[in-house]
Amino acid sequence: MRTMKGKLHFCLPFLAVFLLWDYAASQGFWSSYILPSPARVWGTLLHMLENGELFRHIRISLQRILWGFSWALLASCLLSSLNLLFPRLRNCYSGLLEVFRHVPPLSLIPLLILWFGIGELPKTIIIVLASFFPMYLNMDDGFRRCDRKLLEVGQMLGFSPWKSLWKIRLPAALPGILTGLRIGMGYSLRAIIGAEMIAADSGLGFLILDAQAMSRSDKVIIGILAIGALGLVLDGIFALLERKVLCWMR
Amino acid sequence: MDALKLDHITKTYGPRVVLRDLSLTLSPQECTVILGKSGCGKTTLLRLLAGLEQPDTGTISRPAGLKLGMMFQEARLFPWLTCRENIALGLPQGSIPQEVDHWLSLVQLTEAADQYPAQLSGGMQQRASLARTLAMHSGLILMDEPFAALDYFTRAQLQQELRTMVEQMSMGVVLVTHNVDEALTLGDRLLILRKGTMVWEERLPPGKRDLLSPSLIAVKKRLLEELA
Repeated sequence: MRTMKGKLHFCLPFLAVFLLWDYAASQGFWSSYILPSPARVWGTLLHMLENGELFRHIRISLQRILWGFSWALLASCLLSSLNLLFPRLRNCYSGLLEVFRHVPPLSLIPLLILWFGIGELPKTIIIVLASFFPMYLNMDDGFRRCDRKLLEVGQMLGFSPWKSLWKIRLPAALPGILTGLRIGMGYSLRAIIGAEMIAADSGLGFLILDAQAMSRSDKVIIGILAIGALGLVLDGIFALLERKVLCWMR
Repeated sequence: MDALKLDHITKTYGPRVVLRDLSLTLSPQECTVILGKSGCGKTTLLRLLAGLEQPDTGTISRPAGLKLGMMFQEARLFPWLTCRENIALGLPQGSIPQEVDHWLSLVQLTEAADQYPAQLSGGMQQRASLARTLAMHSGLILMDEPFAALDYFTRAQLQQELRTMVEQMSMGVVLVTHNVDEALTLGDRLLILRKGTMVWEERLPPGKRDLLSPSLIAVKKRLLEELA
């Protein structure tokens, strides 16, 4: 929990940016097309909230993120468990994963559109590729680096490999796993916005690109702020989850 | 219950021979204490008995149905589980959860039951570890210098608690230590390991021990001479 002083430190930079922006806009250094005033952005925001436009785009982006993120999480759990239970299996796909790890997911968009059109599937694939690796690497690393001394205790308690995975490796790896989830969620958000800018007719990425085409800088700013706010909320949920699940570390 | 037998065991780590053609019989009805200087192979012997490592040559025969428990030098509690949950892990399948309360009170940890290991002192952690091992209802408990990191008073208290509980539950113990007084307090049979071979053995009469009695002082003197 943030203290009063902490809250102040958190809010001060926002206030500074806002004041600078308001000052620059009021002095007319740039035209209102390039830099709309905070008052105009606020008015547009209220209008978009009123007609539900902003919520619709946020909901669609969020749905895409959660759908792709869930698949990536499932794949990471499955693969890191397989790595542990059948160590030789890793050799079959580690090379392929290493190559794909270094490929930015957005670079696959041309091919994905060609193969699957501009429907939901390419976007899901982009999110899966963006969020899979941080989750998989943290999970795999956490499982493998589990303290041998604790595993020996499990051995003496008669744990089966599955029970050992469930009761020892998983909880021991949880701090790393949660960090992976947090990073993965951030990557998903970035990836989906990129994908929506290229191949979508809805979502926050589309909102920004559409607003640019209509010369509505105020809407572009609202789109950007909405992405930031969404990221902050998602990260906050994970921070809360971390505090709850890792209470034994405090 | 049959004895646990080691037959011509050899164990090496690289070029270093840790145990050399060692043969030994350990009864699950008594407390066997293995003494020796650091690096003489005590811990390796215990790990072989526990099945945590395999010998290079020789065989270890564990009687069918003999359940082994092990208490390590460190408490090795699972940090994400409370004291109660850690002890519950030791309970055999089919035990009722209330049995944990019995073990908690036996090691005087009832008030710390819902605390995490990081919130417990070293002595309390070691007591919880002891309770978890005892809760397994093992026929033979292997102990690797379990009280080495504790202060004098906590160690003396735990030694006494261990002796009482082992007698009550009629289970065997194989204790590895380099503390001579601990060996004399707990052991029914004392063995000295030197450079991977057993060089000395002595049996002590059962019952409460007075470390200042002439007979135990004489044993201690012989022990120290052998260990030197």
